[in-house]
Amino acid sequence: MSDITVFAARKIITMDPNQPEATHVAVRDGYILAVGDAECANPWGGGTLNNELADKVLMPGFVEGHAHMMAGAIWDYTYVGYHDRTDPEGQHWSGLDTLDAVVERLTEADSKLPKGKPLVGWGLDPIFLSDERLSRRHLDAVSADRPIMVMFSNFHLLCANSAALDLVGYGAHTNVEGVVMGADGEPTGELQEMAAMFPVMRRLGVDFRALSLREDAVRSYAKVCQRVGVTTATDLFSTIEESDIGLLHRITADRDFPLRLVPALGTTEAPEANAAKALALREQSTEKLRLGAIKLMTDGSIQGWTARVRWPGYIGGQPNGIWNTAPDMIHALCLEMQRAGLPMHIHVNGDEASEVVMDALAEAKAAHPRPGLRHVLQHAQMMDAPQFARARELDLCVNLFANHIWYFGDQHVAQTIGPDRAASMDGCRAALDAGVNLAIHSDAPVTPMGPLFTAWCAVNRQTMSGQTLGAAQRLSVQEALYAITLGAAFTLGMDHEIGSIETRKRADFAVLGADPTQTTPETLCDIPVHGTVLGGTVHLL
Amino acid sequence: MRLPLTVIGGYLGAGKTTVLNRLLSEAHGQRLMIMVNDFGAVNIDAALLESRTDDTIALTNGCVCCTMGADLFMAIGDILDRPARPDHLLIEASGIGDPAAIANAALTEPELAYGGIATVIDGLTWDTLSQDAKIGAQIRGQAEAAQLLLISKSATTPAFLPDRTTQNLATQVPLAPLLLDQRPVSTPSRKTIPHPAYTNWSGCPARSMTAPDLRAALNTRPDSLFRLKGWVDAPSGKSWEVHCVGSQTDIKPAKRTKAHLIGIGLAEQSDPSVWQSWLTASLC
Repeated sequence: MSDITVFAARKIITMDPNQPEATHVAVRDGYILAVGDAECANPWGGGTLNNELADKVLMPGFVEGHAHMMAGAIWDYTYVGYHDRTDPEGQHWSGLDTLDAVVERLTEADSKLPKGKPLVGWGLDPIFLSDERLSRRHLDAVSADRPIMVMFSNFHLLCANSAALDLVGYGAHTNVEGVVMGADGEPTGELQEMAAMFPVMRRLGVDFRALSLREDAVRSYAKVCQRVGVTTATDLFSTIEESDIGLLHRITADRDFPLRLVPALGTTEAPEANAAKALALREQSTEKLRLGAIKLMTDGSIQGWTARVRWPGYIGGQPNGIWNTAPDMIHALCLEMQRAGLPMHIHVNGDEASEVVMDALAEAKAAHPRPGLRHVLQHAQMMDAPQFARARELDLCVNLFANHIWYFGDQHVAQTIGPDRAASMDGCRAALDAGVNLAIHSDAPVTPMGPLFTAWCAVNRQTMSGQTLGAAQRLSVQEALYAITLGAAFTLGMDHEIGSIETRKRADFAVLGADPTQTTPETLCDIPVHGTVLGGTVHLL
Repeated sequence: MRLPLTVIGGYLGAGKTTVLNRLLSEAHGQRLMIMVNDFGAVNIDAALLESRTDDTIALTNGCVCCTMGADLFMAIGDILDRPARPDHLLIEASGIGDPAAIANAALTEPELAYGGIATVIDGLTWDTLSQDAKIGAQIRGQAEAAQLLLISKSATTPAFLPDRTTQNLATQVPLAPLLLDQRPVSTPSRKTIPHPAYTNWSGCPARSMTAPDLRAALNTRPDSLFRLKGWVDAPSGKSWEVHCVGSQTDIKPAKRTKAHLIGIGLAEQSDPSVWQSWLTASLC
């Protein structure tokens, strides 16, 4: 018989209603054998006591149901965003609220970089900076000869210095949409959308593909997760190919690799080809690599005014957003994935997008009934009570973007959809009241990964300016903790093996410094995370 | 050599791959690279098929089809980095995509040349779809971005189309002269074969011009001159390389090259004497 390890803890919050709290958990072969007190392993002949976590609080390993692998390797670049962040190595990066501070940080990075290597910054969001716009003049002050670019947080814009612009040959003669020209007739350095950005990125060797599915990117992503107590995380819109599988198998099989990785294949091909590819990938799943889910994009973002919204639209009168996938194609993809039995994670930001997707899924489910096949509306930020009721009727899950309330709530009130609809955004309460399975997420690297912070957002609904936005949609702490554990596990079809600490489940734990159920709701996000346990292996920071 | 890039736009099912297939089988003598979202949808004539791998199909006429993957622009970069570039790159935009968002890369990237946007219009459904509340604005944008509209599935032209050079695909004329770069200038061995449906023309600009002056002069070119390509002297002693398609103008600096221009238009609309008069008045 294999060895039994009994982990002692200050407290174990199990998320199992039959035994909500415990002090010990016995683990055998990576699974939870028994939960209870110091004697819980006795019926099995007892085990070896492990006191490593004896002063810690354990919860089920957190589940991040919507994030991107890029959240790890993006830290190859220098962070110049407005909000405080922590990199995968645990270094804290303070947020920058002026362009002077941005220049200062880049100057410091420049001084550490070998000669000839381009300097790349990321995370700048002009929506938070009240002073002038970042231009090549600022970046020229960092270096006149080293090419520099700063990628904005939305990845649709960047700013380059003169050395980088010269590599492409952008100048006064340039007359192209997306290359912003200043009053002096010269490019300001700001480049909008890929066509204008790509020639600079190409010459500076910036390739987003390298931020996912490469060894260091995968390992770095796992570190991001470990740091915030996440033991299972998605990579939603993976471009994974058959040829990447070997690498992923090797990395994830490593005992030191602290994550169950759930890549969802992006729909980039015809429905049948996509389904065939996902079905083939599914066969390659292992205990720490879960393949076979599909990610479908539909509309854009609300703060970019590219989400498809229903009447009355955007308060500024902006034209309705754009479809990234045509409604007809959404129907075709839903039909084919439902036929093939593949679970879908469907990006819907605006409420017109959620409506179109529910129409498509209603049709698909009528054509190919498959009880138990779970599809998830991702973001679903503008769904209201009737839409949640319909989601319930269609047996759909939602994964709401709770972090948005804090990061963009004020902008939604003032600039996008106005105070009333902003107050009901990411309506966690409405979802639960309708009986819909709920998860909440970070969409890292869009906002930093941190399930306890995400839970804090859903509980407090506080914006950056300190307002409470939509008090009626707040969750209790217990409900929010459910959403980052069992709720999220359910959306991945993994609730039978992760999400709670109970016998038969995998021994995946978040190792915390305090008890989230005993702290005031306002300080939920301040609880320290000391690492994780994955399949019984301890991964402390 | 700059690689010319043409983008084929059009809504789902409009007939984009039909256009690409037709182009692949025409005797234009050019080595095409065609990037598609899904080449399962390109029905390659079996006689043309040479070899195929997971993401590439090689044809006996030197053409290659490949799938673009999730990151189109990085894939364009890969093609530019190849030791042997094709003669012309064609990209099939997604059914919902804005073809200009791709074609603009030919204006920004120094190693690309602008080859134009051709949007395929389903002649049967356009007048309904283009007015659809959910999708209408986006697909009208595809037509507005184009310099050339190719009408499929119907002999009649839909009512709600923007004013662009238009060709009905039912007309069995070669599409290469409209979609591809004209070739005699740098590769005289592979001259464009004249076809009676099109009028070819060439002329010699005599003046040296600054970029803004050249742009202003090119902006006055006759609408009937659909494609215009060549070199014009620059004051620096170097040249400007010029690629014009419809109303779009691409001017990029180039090493000294003998000034000359070649043009093509639809025969029924073309009058080379008008083109020559424009050249004399604006560029000489």
